[in-house]
Amino acid sequence: MKDKILMIVFVLVLGSILTAALVAVNYLTTPVIEKNEEIAIKSSILKALSISFEPDEVEETFSNNVERRQQNGTTYYVAEDGDIAFPYSGSGLWGPIEGVIAIQPNFETLEGITISRQEETPGLGSRITEAEYLAQFEGKRFTEGLKLVQPGRSSADNEVDSITGATMTTDAFVKILNENLRETVPAIAEGETQ
Amino acid sequence: MKSATGAKGQSLKTFLNGVWRDHPIFSMILGICSALAVSNKVENAIAMGAGVTFVLLATGLLIAMLRRLIPTRVRMITYMIVIATFVIVVDRVLKALFPDISQAIGPYVGLIITNCIIMGRAEAFYIQNRIGQSLIDAVANGFGYTYTLVSVAVVRELLGFGTILGFQVMPEGFTKWVVMAMAPGAFFVLAIFIWIGRSLAGMEEE
Repeated sequence: MKDKILMIVFVLVLGSILTAALVAVNYLTTPVIEKNEEIAIKSSILKALSISFEPDEVEETFSNNVERRQQNGTTYYVAEDGDIAFPYSGSGLWGPIEGVIAIQPNFETLEGITISRQEETPGLGSRITEAEYLAQFEGKRFTEGLKLVQPGRSSADNEVDSITGATMTTDAFVKILNENLRETVPAIAEGETQ
Repeated sequence: MKSATGAKGQSLKTFLNGVWRDHPIFSMILGICSALAVSNKVENAIAMGAGVTFVLLATGLLIAMLRRLIPTRVRMITYMIVIATFVIVVDRVLKALFPDISQAIGPYVGLIITNCIIMGRAEAFYIQNRIGQSLIDAVANGFGYTYTLVSVAVVRELLGFGTILGFQVMPEGFTKWVVMAMAPGAFFVLAIFIWIGRSLAGMEEE
């Protein structure tokens, strides 16, 4: 009986001490982690808006060039030249894809796209994050919906190339973009015309 | 008390056991899950190796310190909560100080908790040995794990991405071996490493 009580006391005491240690670590690291996440989001928005910045001056560049606005619960970001950026998310082939879409002030063409999170196949699907691939979206008209075509075949102003060996990922990616554009752009347009 | 030379000899033996004879990956095939998952890039392998080594050290210290107090029947639970605590510490510190690496190996940091190397060393060594020996054992096993991970990662990153630690090594136009960047590449390379390691050490299946 004494053994059993000792056993329980031991586990309780050790558990409490370790939990206290974790609370302390959590308390110390949470502000830093939140700051990191904020910087990651801000640099993603800056990249999408094609605003160049130094890695350690993200906060400054952001507050000097970008204004945060809200409309019906949609948060979006407006650059000085009128370009508008907003975060998007959706399901890729293997996991969520998240990032930022930037559109031009005419509400018809894309300015830029960034990807901040994806879990696609390394070397195949994950190539959607390559700058060359994302660069082709600049200037594309999205009002009719973006259309995916075979690699190197894009000609019309709403067509984008897929990637060899990553058809499923690029397909999912373009679907995510179309869905987010369709849902978010009208809300922003409403907010901006008021 | 053992004599000084005896203790030194013992320490050396403990160390060599960890880095070679009882090498966690070659000899015991422990910790394979994480070794396969994070060995695609050298940077990730180093971070993971450092994380595992830290958890081993902290666990070794605490378990060896408490070894006379830990009731036999709850020793497994004790290992678990001790290991889990330090793994969470590693995860938070990585997130705070190295967000990029944390992003890359994120889910696998949590899996250090179930990394059999740590549980295995706690049960096989730390619960029976003094603090000094336990710490040496922790360093040795952590080093053994890390150098294997890094060697696998060097091969995989070189062939899969054409880079080492992010620097372009292979000439322009090099065709990347996609399979190396994916999980199957890890199986091939790790199997070859285990084969070489075991042949060199003269280990044989019984």
